[in-house]
Amino acid sequence: MDRETRREFEAYRRIEAGPVENTLIDELLDGEVDRKEFFRRATLFGLSASAIAGALAALGEAPIAFAAPEAVRAGGRLRVAIIPPPTKSLDPHTYADQGGLETGGIAGEFLTRATQSLTLLPELATSWKPNARASSWTFKLRPNVKFQNGKTMTADDVVATYKRLLGPDSGALSAFKGVLSASGIKKIDNLTVRFDLDTPTASFPYLTSSTTYQAIILPANYQNGTFEKTPQTTGAFQLTSYTPGVGAKYDRFPGWWNGRPPLDGVDVTYYSDDAAVTAALLGGQVDLIGQVQFATARPLFSNPNVQIFATRGATHRQVPMRVDLHNQLSDRRVRQAIALTLDRPRIIKTLFDNRADIGNDSPFAPVYPSTNKTVAQRHKDLRLAKQLMAAAGFSRGFAITLTTEKTGEIPQLAQIIQQSVKAIGIKMTLKILTATAYFAGSQTGGPGGLGNTPWLNTPMNITDWGHRAVPNVLLNSALQTGGVWNAAHYSNKRYDALVKSYTGAIALKDQLKYSKQIETILLRDTPVIFPYFYNYLAAGSKRVKGYKADALGQVYLSKTSLG
Amino acid sequence: MARFLLKRTAFALITLVLLSMIVFATAQLLPGNVGRNVLGGFADQRSVDLLNHQLGVDRPVYVQYGRWVGHLVHGDLGQSLEYKVSVSSLLGPALLNSLKLAALAFVLVVPLSILGGIVAALRQARTTDRVITVGGLSLTAVPEFVTAIVLIVIFGVAFKVLPTTAQAPPGAGFFTQVEYLLLPAFALVAVLFGYIARITRAGVIEALDADYTRTAFLKGLDTPTILRRHVLRNALLPTIAVVATQTGYLIGGLVVIETLFNYPGIGQRILIAAQNKDFTMLEAGVLIVGIVYLAATLIADTLYSLLNPRIRYGAAD
Repeated sequence: MDRETRREFEAYRRIEAGPVENTLIDELLDGEVDRKEFFRRATLFGLSASAIAGALAALGEAPIAFAAPEAVRAGGRLRVAIIPPPTKSLDPHTYADQGGLETGGIAGEFLTRATQSLTLLPELATSWKPNARASSWTFKLRPNVKFQNGKTMTADDVVATYKRLLGPDSGALSAFKGVLSASGIKKIDNLTVRFDLDTPTASFPYLTSSTTYQAIILPANYQNGTFEKTPQTTGAFQLTSYTPGVGAKYDRFPGWWNGRPPLDGVDVTYYSDDAAVTAALLGGQVDLIGQVQFATARPLFSNPNVQIFATRGATHRQVPMRVDLHNQLSDRRVRQAIALTLDRPRIIKTLFDNRADIGNDSPFAPVYPSTNKTVAQRHKDLRLAKQLMAAAGFSRGFAITLTTEKTGEIPQLAQIIQQSVKAIGIKMTLKILTATAYFAGSQTGGPGGLGNTPWLNTPMNITDWGHRAVPNVLLNSALQTGGVWNAAHYSNKRYDALVKSYTGAIALKDQLKYSKQIETILLRDTPVIFPYFYNYLAAGSKRVKGYKADALGQVYLSKTSLG
Repeated sequence: MARFLLKRTAFALITLVLLSMIVFATAQLLPGNVGRNVLGGFADQRSVDLLNHQLGVDRPVYVQYGRWVGHLVHGDLGQSLEYKVSVSSLLGPALLNSLKLAALAFVLVVPLSILGGIVAALRQARTTDRVITVGGLSLTAVPEFVTAIVLIVIFGVAFKVLPTTAQAPPGAGFFTQVEYLLLPAFALVAVLFGYIARITRAGVIEALDADYTRTAFLKGLDTPTILRRHVLRNALLPTIAVVATQTGYLIGGLVVIETLFNYPGIGQRILIAAQNKDFTMLEAGVLIVGIVYLAATLIADTLYSLLNPRIRYGAAD
């Protein structure tokens, strides 16, 4: 680095950079994080491109090079298959299913966008900056962004959108509960919004990204029930027609702030059957399927005319075991024993042809940088499992029912678990419901506080969970005392305190310190088995260019073209 | 004849009223709570109760039924609970789609299977007869989803001569729509051919053995005339009854075919409404299919009586 650059960089550290930024830069200089991880964390904390370049130069690293964009053929309409269709009306803040998030996400945009490598890109926000404790975050908004109804986006629209996300009918409450309250959302000026958080949260910008799929920015005067009828998002495409359960049409939005997307438009067809959607791609009726599963769409994986878009992520299944029912499962040795019967490498080979990571019975997926990989992986160990069962007084086993939903590979996983626990004498009955029946009922109130819905109240079950860019929602909602999705009814004060420390930790080495303790506690208590985290898969014909699968399933098409 | 028709229509209307009661009662039997289902698991009980009150589903069943029928006779099918749009805007196009597919299947299967049945009867116990009856029965015995998948894989994926999905792009002309509907129609032909052909064959054989046919031969009439005037007129009676009952199935019962060919017909709408507990849609959908059934049966009865004076006069007695 020449003297001039060094002087500018030192000045930046002294004057502009706050404690958070300097912590990041120290981590890089001390060799605690590598270049890739530094880049990810720098985008999270909103460091400017020049600050990132300066820090990399200070370490003698080559500056970041951005690849020249591929020359694309403009024009054409992309035919996208979405499976399954949205089951409700399309108000973004209420999204709770894959069909809804994919349909809305084609037209909608967020303050920030999470990429495949878990970095954050500015979208409707241009920059963001925390205070020293990461308890308050200031977002600068992009000027001159037009909504598709002609209005220009201002801080009022962002404030109204976030207040809507905290309302009673929001689908994003699990993400924001305990993090953000309506009174903490403040307009500073026309293009600045500040979020004063309930708890210091170092990963807060992720909650404003495309991974909180309900957080599509809408005009302040948005009326419920109008998403289907009037285009009013900011994205590259506007929704021009929608027929529930049948399809949707999008046209290029000429007023898009980021120029002109290659495609003229997008035609979505909804499917509800795996065989039908597979045949549609193979038969040339669609160009792209938003989500495919290895277990149910095998013909696609061996066809030379199909490209599979894979993204490593944290999509997973949880097998919660209720700790509070005064049955065999309330003994943690029994829960450990059940977890020890699973041959995880074989499971991911069978169910995903190895397009998955093995889970270690905590939400810390291998894909997260904050996952502490020094904690030993749990392997199949029948001898230990039998010892634990004997010590718990159940050497002759017992009978139990596992309830679950008919979604993707879950019924097959249920059968594998049923077969595996036979080895320690457990006779498992499977009760496989439709997804609708499994998630039906209330999730609040009732004796356990979690309503009467099967997925939160059965002794043992399997539930599908989507990807998150950081494990916070999983740590909070699924495992904390009183968590809204705590299906195991798990409660451990030490765990709760550690999660709080982890959430507020800014330096990676602090996060790793806490994650190690959290992982260890969860392995000991095993309230939930996390057998695997699988790759998000999409499939398309060879004509589709410039598409990347998103780990959560967003269908982002502004760079996609038809070759 | 007029009296006969009047009587049949009156019976159909009574059946319709009974059907509406059964549909309504069945929907009430489905487990779960309407308001809870619409608002989701996180909503508090107060807002669930409020919505139930607004929708009127907390009132006694007979009051709800009365209101529902009141709206129905004014042509108002209500709002879909899940999609928040009018039920008729969803069921109307779906019914039209179902009618299109049913019409094509009907046009293909009825002449084909009647012809097959007649040929089989005339060549009774010979190879042609065996091929038609055994082949037809085998096709009927294969579940429709198997036939459908085989058709899709062969014509849609391997040779790519026909589209694998049944829904033509919007604004497609008549022939394009027919092209998109051919594969599912073939699947339906495979299901129905064996059945209708067998019934026709049995009727024709019986008529050929009848005294009046022998008399017709003996008095020197030529074979085509005998077939047309004496054999078919009698032989087709059971076939018409069978075809009529299958028409109802063709319009409302095609859930599997509609799902596999991703065709937004009324069967799929009813299935999804039942899964999502979208009561208004479910009730209206089942009722519409019921009306179609009744209409088809009424038409069949009328045809039957035109061909068979015994029914006509028997009814007039």
